[in-house]
Amino acid sequence: MHKEQGERRDFLPDLITHLDRLGAGEIVLEGGYGLGVGVPMDAYLEVSGRARVGSYGECLDQDVVVVLRCPEQEELRRLRPGAVLVSMLHYPTRPDRTALLADLGVRAVSLDAITDRSGRRVVENLEAVAWNGVRAAFREIQRRHPHFDHPSRRPLHVTCLGSGGVGSWAAFAATRYGDPQLRESLVATNVPGVEVTVVDFDLTWHEDYMFGRLEQTDLLIDATRRADPSRPVVPNAWLAALPADGVILDLACDPYDLEVAPPVVKGIEGVPHGSLDGYVFPPEDDAYDLIDPRIDTTNRRLALSCYSWPGLDPVGSMRTYGEQLEPVLSVVLGKPAGDWGVNGASQVERAVARAEVSRWMGSRRG
Amino acid sequence: MDGLAQGLTFGFPTMHKEAGERRDFLPPLIHLLADLGCEVFVESGIGSGMGYRDEDYLSSSRVHVVDEDSAYRQDVVVVLRAPIGKFEKVRRGATLISMLHFPTRPTRVRHLKELGIDAVGLDTIEDDEGRRLVVNSKAVAWNGLEAAFEMLERRWPQLTSPARAPVRVTVMGAGDIGKQAVEAATKYGNAERSDLLRRYGVPGVEVVTIGRNLTSDDAYLWRRLSATDVLVDATQRHDASVPLIRNDWLRLLPPHAVICDLVVDPYLLDADPPTVRGIEGIPQGNLDRYTFDVDDPGWDLVPPQVPTGHRRAVASCYSWPGVHPKRCMELYGKQLAPLLETLVQRGGLAGVRPDGSFHERALHRGSLRARPHPVAVGELVHT
Repeated sequence: MHKEQGERRDFLPDLITHLDRLGAGEIVLEGGYGLGVGVPMDAYLEVSGRARVGSYGECLDQDVVVVLRCPEQEELRRLRPGAVLVSMLHYPTRPDRTALLADLGVRAVSLDAITDRSGRRVVENLEAVAWNGVRAAFREIQRRHPHFDHPSRRPLHVTCLGSGGVGSWAAFAATRYGDPQLRESLVATNVPGVEVTVVDFDLTWHEDYMFGRLEQTDLLIDATRRADPSRPVVPNAWLAALPADGVILDLACDPYDLEVAPPVVKGIEGVPHGSLDGYVFPPEDDAYDLIDPRIDTTNRRLALSCYSWPGLDPVGSMRTYGEQLEPVLSVVLGKPAGDWGVNGASQVERAVARAEVSRWMGSRRG
Repeated sequence: MDGLAQGLTFGFPTMHKEAGERRDFLPPLIHLLADLGCEVFVESGIGSGMGYRDEDYLSSSRVHVVDEDSAYRQDVVVVLRAPIGKFEKVRRGATLISMLHFPTRPTRVRHLKELGIDAVGLDTIEDDEGRRLVVNSKAVAWNGLEAAFEMLERRWPQLTSPARAPVRVTVMGAGDIGKQAVEAATKYGNAERSDLLRRYGVPGVEVVTIGRNLTSDDAYLWRRLSATDVLVDATQRHDASVPLIRNDWLRLLPPHAVICDLVVDPYLLDADPPTVRGIEGIPQGNLDRYTFDVDDPGWDLVPPQVPTGHRRAVASCYSWPGVHPKRCMELYGKQLAPLLETLVQRGGLAGVRPDGSFHERALHRGSLRARPHPVAVGELVHT
């Protein structure tokens, strides 16, 4: 993907098998493909006689280009007009890139825009966001808690802000320390478990309640999806109530962007914004210096934040995405992009057609 | 497409269960199959429990309204709940698609095999990760919590007061149903109720969810019960012969508290080992009756060996998704559509490859063909 060093994801050989079965004429894999997920090139070449190794440029020169995270804009210009690009393209928040793809005549299909009839994303991995984040947070707690695995310790208290797609997975994962094996071993030795308290927007406004809750919290999770991202759910001043050894986990991963109107801030004010290269931030971490000085960072706790939590488990993440992608690719290779019908007979075809950039832009224009 | 679908016919009989069971598959699913070139035979009266007329199903000349026997005599028969007592109506070699619960119904599996029915359990159609593709655990949670909060409001008028403290919900069990229950509980099981109360400045709901490592801690549970307004059972117990909450512990709950039972474990005291409910001494409801005040005659149906001395109001239903039948069937229809499309594309179950596409693999996993030896295990059985 040519992203940060910590981004190790590539699709697994199962997807190549599927493309072969669909009758792809040639499947070009960039040299080194799969190394980050521990899969040797031979494993890809074995599953399809039509697979071969090529350069990055050759990959971009194909009729259909499949890559999880979107290439940079100069790389997009190398795509052929009429080529199909299947990737996470985030049309609503990347208007320049979306317009560029349309101008280039690329038949882009944004994976994050493929939704079923009820508007639910077909290609997503909220489960991995929650599990990977919660697992990382409990590892930090385990490292610091003097009696983490002792039967005499009290139950750990987790407060999860938000009960939607990510929040409900986060609560689930937190009852299991984000790690089923760790949970089994602690259950076997009678170590008290985890009490997870979930509060949503109809309670997070209640300052008195929130102060009381924060005082009892060992791990505070932001899994909110705010209607108004210009205001934090937990202002930095409230973090003073969190115990000194409390840990903050940012699963929402909204950025700080004070230059747009209205501005965007994180749900928990003053938490650094992490990536796969760095996602654990002790209070003295240099990452706090990179936060816009207009953001209050006075009250600090150990914080975890990552732009791409699923990337922490690259194999699991790509297994899920690969599985979800199979029906999408069946449509993409099944007929020319111009023939995909937003009113087609197949549910998947309709979903893919809606996520194709020209039709998506057309629907926005009304 | 027509070529592949040629000759494959579908039958949609109605369920004929308790009066409260109003669900049938909705017209869009029938229309989809007709559009794929299949002849579709629906039983007269289909959808009438949800206000549909036979004409609503007649999108094309390929859809036919017939009697029950004719609906069962097709190549593929689709009916939501297992058609107990009617398996003989299905032709030998035909495909039956229904909630058949193979793992917990070994006798049924034998019977289906003897009849030569190529059965697919809707509840056993799973993706490569073992996740069910036709499932409505969200409705189990939301419908159950909605009923529980309606009872709570009747028993505890402060529910709607801006002066009250946050409502305290305890969800036992953090599995799939428990996960959905957490979200549903934060919204009183009803998004409109939640919006309304929020507009009036009424503090929301604090939901505490606990897994097995705390539900087995008696001292912790006692403290938790005393601070609980709604107690939700969403557990999947390893040992169903022992209750999680003994009946005498229920006295610790505030008098106004409501128990929300999202699990469908029955009382089977004669079985070896016996099965008892997770919360001891509560009645089990169905779509005809799913709320029980403390003096409800429903308690008299609990086996006499089970203590029921300590009571709180209970919301319990064998089939929570059926409380809102149309919503439920819209979802099942959406989930089933790509699977039936695949079935049609493959010319029937015989053409479905165990190593085929995503939906082929899932269909194969759900079929009896993939289960030579049924193994009995406990599970949640909501349909």
